[in-house]
Amino acid sequence: MKLPVAAGLATAAVSITLYPLFNGGAWFWASLGVVLVTTAVGVVASRLATPRWLAPLAMLVAQGLYLTAGFARQEAWLSVIPTKDSVLRLGELIASGYDDIQRFAAPVPSNPGISLLTGGGVGLIAVLVDLFAVRLRRAALAGLPLLALFTVPAAVITDPIGWPAFVIAALGYVGLLVADGRERLSHWGRAVLVRRSRVGGTGTAPDTGRLALSGKRIGVTAIALAILLPALLPTLAPNPLFGFGVGNGLGPGGNNIGIPDAIAKLGGQLNQQRNATVLTYTSSDDQPRYLRIYSLDLFDGRKWTPSALRGRPEDRVSAGPLPPAPGLGPGVAVKRAETRITISEDIDQLRFLPLPYPATQVDADGDWRADRATLMVFSTRDEAAGLEYRVATGEPQPTVAQLDAAVSPPGSGRFLDLPPGLDGQVRAMAVRVTRGAATPYQKAVKLQEWFTHSGKFTYSLRTTGSGGDALSRFVLTGRSGYCEQFASAMAVMARMLGIPARVSIGYTGGTKIGKSWVVRTHDAHAWPELYFAGVGWLRFEPTPTGGAGQGTAQVPPYTVPVTPTANPTTGSSAGPSSGAGDTSDHPGGPARRNPRQLDRDFGGVPVIPDPGLPVAAKGGIGAGTLLLLALIPALLRLLFWYGRRRVLARVTAARPATVRVPAPRAPETSGELPRDVTVRAIPRDPSAYAARAVEAAWAELCDTLTDFGMPRNPSESPRAVARRLTEQYELDAEAAASIRTIASAEERLRYAPTPLDAGPVAADVRRVRRALAATVSKRRRVGAALAPRSTLLRLRALGEKALDGFDRLENIRVRTARRDDHVRELTRR
Amino acid sequence: MAATPDVTDAGSRLEELVETAHRIRRAIESVIEGKSDVVRLTLTVLLAEGHLLIEDVPGVGKTMLAKALARSIDCPVRRVQFTPDLLPSDITGVSAYNQQTREFEFKPGPVFANIVVGDEINRASPKTQSALLECMEEHQVTVDGVTYQLESPFMVIATQNPIEMEGTYPLPEAQRDRFTAKIAMGYPEPAAELEMLDVHGASQPLDKLEPVATTAEVHALIQAVRAVYVSQPVKRYAIDMVAATRHSSDLRLGASPRATLHLVRSARAHAALSGRDYVIPDDLQDLAVPVLSHRLLPSMEAQGQRRHPEQVVAELVRRIPVPDAK
Repeated sequence: MKLPVAAGLATAAVSITLYPLFNGGAWFWASLGVVLVTTAVGVVASRLATPRWLAPLAMLVAQGLYLTAGFARQEAWLSVIPTKDSVLRLGELIASGYDDIQRFAAPVPSNPGISLLTGGGVGLIAVLVDLFAVRLRRAALAGLPLLALFTVPAAVITDPIGWPAFVIAALGYVGLLVADGRERLSHWGRAVLVRRSRVGGTGTAPDTGRLALSGKRIGVTAIALAILLPALLPTLAPNPLFGFGVGNGLGPGGNNIGIPDAIAKLGGQLNQQRNATVLTYTSSDDQPRYLRIYSLDLFDGRKWTPSALRGRPEDRVSAGPLPPAPGLGPGVAVKRAETRITISEDIDQLRFLPLPYPATQVDADGDWRADRATLMVFSTRDEAAGLEYRVATGEPQPTVAQLDAAVSPPGSGRFLDLPPGLDGQVRAMAVRVTRGAATPYQKAVKLQEWFTHSGKFTYSLRTTGSGGDALSRFVLTGRSGYCEQFASAMAVMARMLGIPARVSIGYTGGTKIGKSWVVRTHDAHAWPELYFAGVGWLRFEPTPTGGAGQGTAQVPPYTVPVTPTANPTTGSSAGPSSGAGDTSDHPGGPARRNPRQLDRDFGGVPVIPDPGLPVAAKGGIGAGTLLLLALIPALLRLLFWYGRRRVLARVTAARPATVRVPAPRAPETSGELPRDVTVRAIPRDPSAYAARAVEAAWAELCDTLTDFGMPRNPSESPRAVARRLTEQYELDAEAAASIRTIASAEERLRYAPTPLDAGPVAADVRRVRRALAATVSKRRRVGAALAPRSTLLRLRALGEKALDGFDRLENIRVRTARRDDHVRELTRR
Repeated sequence: MAATPDVTDAGSRLEELVETAHRIRRAIESVIEGKSDVVRLTLTVLLAEGHLLIEDVPGVGKTMLAKALARSIDCPVRRVQFTPDLLPSDITGVSAYNQQTREFEFKPGPVFANIVVGDEINRASPKTQSALLECMEEHQVTVDGVTYQLESPFMVIATQNPIEMEGTYPLPEAQRDRFTAKIAMGYPEPAAELEMLDVHGASQPLDKLEPVATTAEVHALIQAVRAVYVSQPVKRYAIDMVAATRHSSDLRLGASPRATLHLVRSARAHAALSGRDYVIPDDLQDLAVPVLSHRLLPSMEAQGQRRHPEQVVAELVRRIPVPDAK
């Protein structure tokens, strides 16, 4: 294969891995066309031996022509030659494609703009690959642009790339390297073979076929390892190769769920200017309810993120009621209600269900699972778009006395964690505004009161950020923000006061239209939830509500101060219309909120469903598994020895008493075995057992020699081996007798008409091994036990057999080709 | 081992063989000092019904070895000194006209003996050489249309002087092939030479040598050797060895099928002399060089590198794996 062709193939192969980024295949054909054009130019340039710098330029020009013909044919002259109009058209397409990419989360529709951008990008990569591999003859370096292309899908989407795509991409690169090796070699001479040589052809051209074979062998082995090894090792994500799904409980592919992705979809799919409907619902008591999607409980000083989710198979919502709401005690009255929710068809990639909290039962089609800790309901398989589902809720209706009685439970540390380095003044402020409050509940109420009234906060969408600095600014000086800042600030300050807190993301109850409630994009909201022992998580609402605040936000009744110690503005926030009196420079209106702002600070945390174990344990398991894998040869070796010992033991058991065989005269000095040795007679008819025992003893001896690194010449007969070992390692009389017994039994088995009149026993083998072990270094002994060479060689032989099979495939092809050559030769005559 | 009478018989025959062979060896070694390997090989060839070519410089005991062997067996031994003017009839015998009986009477030549020592065989003309070689192969002599069977055992021990090449007719390959083995006596060790001085200085030990075995006994030994078992893997191993000489790039001429036959036959004798009733690869390995190398012609390259066929064969033997199992 010519090098430019290999370069083109490599680029095309790697570009296949972009598939998860797109819906539809137009992008692929565009990219393929660009690669073909580039490759054709590369081939021609190589043939004409043009200067190195010319080929990339020619390729870029050819790509320009091709893309003009493909995307701006109407405006071009003769459909191909770019004109001013065609260039403008391409520019428009690029702009719209760029806009789409910004707007949509992957997979993006494969419209002309995006196809053009993709084709152009792949084309640039193709030029770079050709430049490195063909013009500069640095094929390995061409891996860098290919890698860049390969990392695009890896960086954009959280789903792993399918292994077939990886194999194709890797084979493409291997093909490029092999082609480079062949071409390089053909300038030098004959191939240096990696493995066994066959009689080569006599042609004048060097035979690079075998080098290619070696390259392919190495490549195939590496790729097979790259795929199989991760599949064998325990992974952080569920098994990426086969999605049998039972064990990990998350269905095929082990998809991760990316919250940022989902939020981006939520916002990004909807027109930013349009206040689109997200969902509608009806409830049994006709009351609006906040619909929570995500619950974020980790604050790192910059942003709130969720803990890892666990979606166990037994927590499927179809399997029955949801897990009980955390912390809700039996003594608290519960208001039961049922809500029927219909998600808009336009919502894409939403894999979490918006639910009122706390849901007790969810009736939805598909594989939806509840996270026990947060009661978030999600799926790795199904999407919420167009879904209709029923939710039963049991909202706690605690009395003031119950709330006052609640103390922060021990063990709620996760919900009290705050990063170091937070502004101390914020803490001081939290303490100051809650001064006089006796219980956590009263503190929480005072805090909310401060946010909504006494703190003189204003609602503004201009504020950004909810991190440490932004928090100080918001609480101490600016006091202006929107739900994100309010929710974050209140949760942080509650934690400072020792009240477990978290931030929820979702929607407010929306607006009632007709009989149902309609929730729109502008109802996207964030709010804090505080935990009270015996009652569980309770929603608070620090964000200003009503026209000058979050339009449809509602203050929960239990957060309104009713005790005599409460703030004088009692009852002022009882409904959506409350919150008046706060100043706001933002009049309410449909276009005032940008829902996309919500996801700004929650980016970058993929939620891994059911990770099972802490990282340290996983690392331990990983290391343990690696160790086990490394010890497989040692275990196999032990198994071999165990099997052989059993065979030997059976023979010993079946054998009559030891007899002394009278020896004829010990004949010569040339190392003949002395016959006058005590041997153990075997029953008259040589059973298969006995033969197997002799073979087992001999095999064990050979393996022992291999393990200890004592080479054995294949031309040495058993007798010669025994003699040499005895002399070379100066074995004592007992060991020498044992090794002779083993060798002579093997010799008779192989060459004598009546094989067995004596046989070795396990003790002989053990004695010889001990004697031999005593002659080698300790390091060698340990090596023989942990990584026995005999087994490693066996495994290698097995691998070679597999590769031989691979060779055979190769040979089929080669032979056909040769036949073709022959036919061509004949027809030429 | 099944203790059938046959096997027991074979076992006792083997013991007898070892015993007899040992006696003969001791007898020969009382004359030839420090050459046990050569003596053993000579016995091996005798029991394998083959012929031996001894190539060495004069005075190392070639003839002495032959004579000692003959003397210890108590069988007729004839010695032929090969010279350029030796005629075939000088070896095979002639039909002479008996005036009294008025008939042609056959006068048997020196070849009619159990052991024939052909001294400096390369000095005779090819015609005479071939007369001897025919006897060796056929174990018979045909004179004037009458065929005379030779004695059994019949063994030719020919000697050759590699130094003086003037006026000699070196044995062609085809004729060398008739000899089962070729050995070089080699100079004795200093200690052995010293002892030789002591012993041979005063008297001729050959004179004192009494026969230790009869022709009939040797005949029985040969029969016992024929019964030695050669397993299929070992046969294949022998073929591998011979085939390797045919494919070696160091050799211009490989060994013949007759060589295979000789190799296995002498391996049988070798095994029997070791007290074994079956042949093992070690027997073949021990015999490969003496049995094969004199039949081979080195290639020009090997000659250029001064690599002798002996070295080539030894290397080949080291490279061929021994057979594993049946």
